Amino acid sequence: MLDMGGSQAYDVKHTLQTHGEQTMASSTHEKRVGGAYLRELGGALLVYALLLVATIRFGRPMEPGALRTVVLLSPMLGFCLGLWAIARHLGRVDEYVRKYLLESFALGAALTAGLTFTYGFLETSGYPKLSMFAVWIVLCGATSLVLLVRSVLGRR
Amino acid sequence: MKNSLRELRAARGWSQADLAGKLDVSRQSVNAIETGRYDPSLTLAFTISRLFGLPVEAIFSPDQETA
Repeated sequence: MLDMGGSQAYDVKHTLQTHGEQTMASSTHEKRVGGAYLRELGGALLVYALLLVATIRFGRPMEPGALRTVVLLSPMLGFCLGLWAIARHLGRVDEYVRKYLLESFALGAALTAGLTFTYGFLETSGYPKLSMFAVWIVLCGATSLVLLVRSVLGRR
Repeated sequence: MKNSLRELRAARGWSQADLAGKLDVSRQSVNAIETGRYDPSLTLAFTISRLFGLPVEAIFSPDQETA
């Protein structure tokens, strides 16, 4: 009986190992690359958040002028660190993931261009003027949508 | 491009994550190569060839032989 159980346990383990595509185990490469990306992007977001809070607290009440403009722009330092983290991530991932991500970013950017261009015409026809911040939100949404759709289609 | 990566991996009892670890790539890359959705670069093809101890042409072959 014990031997039988052990054999069955081996079979299950062997099946999982042989058909690893049925499991979602990450490779050591993914863990290393993913960990570095999370650390770097997390650091960038922390810098962004701290500068944003400082800007709201101290920058907004300042007298108009060049110094106030510089202070109000300071959260972009964290944003640029985020872009640097993404660029470094693209340099670390393997060739297939790099191709996949760059294709998705390109499709997301194209979708954003189409949507914002369309809204430009709608503004002319009387729709409310939107802040340029909206472009960033649309870009994030469009890229996420592309990644989601490709992920669902890839599982078929 | 066709390949026999899945068969070679299964013969050694490796999961996709195991093979990905040995090649220093993601599991998604191994899956994409095995299912024919992605043709690896020459560099990765030679790494795969070295790992299995087989020539590249024994693992990868064109869908249709060209003249």
